[in-house]
Amino acid sequence: MTPAGPLHGYRVLDLADENAALCGKMFADLGADVVKVEPPGGCPTRSIPPFVDDLAGPDRSCYFQALAAGKRSVALDLEQAHGRDLLARLADRADFLIESSPAGYLDNLGLSYQALAARNPRLVYTSVTPFGDRGPGAAWRAADIAGWAASGMMALMGAPGRPPLQVSVPQACFHAGSEAAVASMLAHLDRQGSGRGQKVVISLQAAAVWATSSETALPVLEARSLARSGAIPAMMQGSRYLYKCADGYVQLTVGSGIFLATTIGLLEWLKEWGPLPEPVAAIDFATWTQDRLRSRDPELLAETAACEAAIAGLLERLAKAEIMSRADVSGWAIAPVNTPEDIARDPQLAARDYYQEVEHPSLDRNLTLLGPFAKLSGTPAPAARRAPMLGEHNADILRGDLGLSGEEFAILEAAGVIVPAGQGIGR
Amino acid sequence: VTGVAEGLRVLDFTWFAVGPITTKYLADNGAEVIKIESHQRPDGLRLTPPFSGEPGLNRSQFFGNCNTSKKSVTIDMSTEEGRDLIRGLVSHCDVVAESFRAGTMDKWGLGYDKLRELRPDIIYYATCLQGQTGPRAGYAGFGTQLSAIAGFYHLSGYSPDELTPVHGPYTDFVAPRFGCFALLSAIDHRRRTGEGQMIDMSQYEASLHFLSPAITQYFATGTIAQAVGNHSPRYAPHGAYRCRDDAAGERWVVLAVDGDEQWRDLLRVLGDDAGLSIFPVHADRLERSGEVDRYIGKLIARRAAAELTAALQQAGIPAYPVQNCDDLRDDENLRAWGFFRDVDQPESGPMPYDGPAYRLDRTPGQQSAAPDLGEHTEEVLSGLLGLSAAEIGRLRDAKILN
Repeated sequence: MTPAGPLHGYRVLDLADENAALCGKMFADLGADVVKVEPPGGCPTRSIPPFVDDLAGPDRSCYFQALAAGKRSVALDLEQAHGRDLLARLADRADFLIESSPAGYLDNLGLSYQALAARNPRLVYTSVTPFGDRGPGAAWRAADIAGWAASGMMALMGAPGRPPLQVSVPQACFHAGSEAAVASMLAHLDRQGSGRGQKVVISLQAAAVWATSSETALPVLEARSLARSGAIPAMMQGSRYLYKCADGYVQLTVGSGIFLATTIGLLEWLKEWGPLPEPVAAIDFATWTQDRLRSRDPELLAETAACEAAIAGLLERLAKAEIMSRADVSGWAIAPVNTPEDIARDPQLAARDYYQEVEHPSLDRNLTLLGPFAKLSGTPAPAARRAPMLGEHNADILRGDLGLSGEEFAILEAAGVIVPAGQGIGR
Repeated sequence: VTGVAEGLRVLDFTWFAVGPITTKYLADNGAEVIKIESHQRPDGLRLTPPFSGEPGLNRSQFFGNCNTSKKSVTIDMSTEEGRDLIRGLVSHCDVVAESFRAGTMDKWGLGYDKLRELRPDIIYYATCLQGQTGPRAGYAGFGTQLSAIAGFYHLSGYSPDELTPVHGPYTDFVAPRFGCFALLSAIDHRRRTGEGQMIDMSQYEASLHFLSPAITQYFATGTIAQAVGNHSPRYAPHGAYRCRDDAAGERWVVLAVDGDEQWRDLLRVLGDDAGLSIFPVHADRLERSGEVDRYIGKLIARRAAAELTAALQQAGIPAYPVQNCDDLRDDENLRAWGFFRDVDQPESGPMPYDGPAYRLDRTPGQQSAAPDLGEHTEEVLSGLLGLSAAEIGRLRDAKILN
């Protein structure tokens, strides 16, 4: 039997833009039939860089190819009454609807939860909002960086005296999209018993706040707050953990407790090059007890700093692979700072058949996509499917599912209600 | 009804962050989630700051934040009698969840194959750093290490030579939603078919979905994405800009400008006439983003972050103050959302917790206290296994329940 995934048989209408693109992707990965409803000109995520060979085009965005993989596409102009009618009819037979439109946009088109639930009470209707739907920012707009700034994560990243930072592959929207997937399934859990759907609301800001871990409680419990601290992570109280090596970086912590064996092991390695620097040679590691890790005693911190400097001097001469092979043999707690290339070639991922290659008719090469995020023994995920071209499934869905006649379809297409397949130019 | 997951029972062996956050979604929505711990081996988060008052097993906010609405039972699993109790509990449960190094539960005779003999439709959820199979299946570690392995640190910094890691054990807060979504899908499948199954959730494989554009790009073109600070290939200006300081210290605002219309609007909000002719074209602003940043940086330096944010948003430009942890407590949008909430803990009193980032309008669920260590041992063993007070006393004396 061909794997279909645990969510096979469910239909998701995906009206989401970047703010919640990951939500529908998670449903598609586990086998749901996810239908992107794209506006004329195509979903704005088709124009998110990077592009294949840096050339923009509706099927050339690596972001789109990654996040829309496994979805289908129908292209409708919702600003025309007939387009709205088609969407409502699609929603009649859908299990989930996901949207992240500007506040009020769908309501004003007559496509609110209330309007669609009046026709299909089973519908789970999930709205991803940038900053919630009740505060002064209910109508505000988010770019990923605004969600990141609003979450507290940005203030915790970067160096003192320089600007706070985002991750170079922006992250905030992914937190919101994955939260939306979970919450939609929670609503579904209820629907199985009650037969009723509901409105689900997500705050993108709040979803990303979760990544600060417990730092938001510090002002209350310890009357202090953390600030960005460069290569020394704010949470580690003085210990840096990124170390430069000859061809990249590795991550480790110099310290006592679970870090002690690694610290001593690296210093032993350094001795193979010559004597340890004086302040390090003088350290009695028997005094490095577990509780030392949280001490802020300046003398102890100076000892740690001396070890860090010595170890940094060692590691910068060595290649990442050389460090990691010694670390593996010795059981040291060192992690490689992997690049996308390292990750693409990782034997662990290969052993688990993680990556999957798909053909794409409008590209001159195959694409390699990430595999599903979990392996389910009884309901394995379906094979990877490429992202759709704009309106690629107009006929399948509108004629096949909704039963439009050939004539109706042609009239709506001529009126621009249905956007002809392949007409997308990106934005 | 206390939530959508009422009626589900989960035997939860997970510890630290990923597993507990995963099952918390169920617990906060009414499932009975029973944590199995022991005094020799409590959940490591119980010893992790911040604490309410003095450090103590029942006083960690970090632990509580990840474990609200659950129960805690202490059983010594290194004893055969302890494992028998576990087997007894399994037959009353819908889900078993664990986050040990691969192979640990098998070693105890509590792996999926054994447990499904007791309960054929059990859903067995296993999560570890790199998955249950493969050469690195046994690799134990924390989210800080996985954040390096999964590429997040490589993509965190001002430039490839100036990396500054994304905060915290980052992947610990990325992986749980993938795991919970898979778990909910398996629960749905069981309700439809009566079939259980095993879920193998590699935190590595899940977390990579937050970097999928960069991995897809590498495979398609060979280009290795790098740390680029706040530079954006789509927006200019785009980044964090220093505002007027206030009593609490430095203030920054972020904004993202997409296209000529927004650029005009930005300059209008900033009260500037000249920028339009200096940088008239979007593609040119992208090219010269450093110069654009310096230009508007000067205009923003005199402004207050909150006031400027409101004016920019009014003009349709995405913007927000860079909020630190202090600011978040007073953030009006989080307040209106009801994000922060105090929950009374049995030992430590009111504890400041984060609320959910989702709202189920018709079935809101309820967040109750996180359990003290072993708080529910008697309740669960007498309730589910029918053990008498005398039997429980004997097990306590024998240190099986500790």
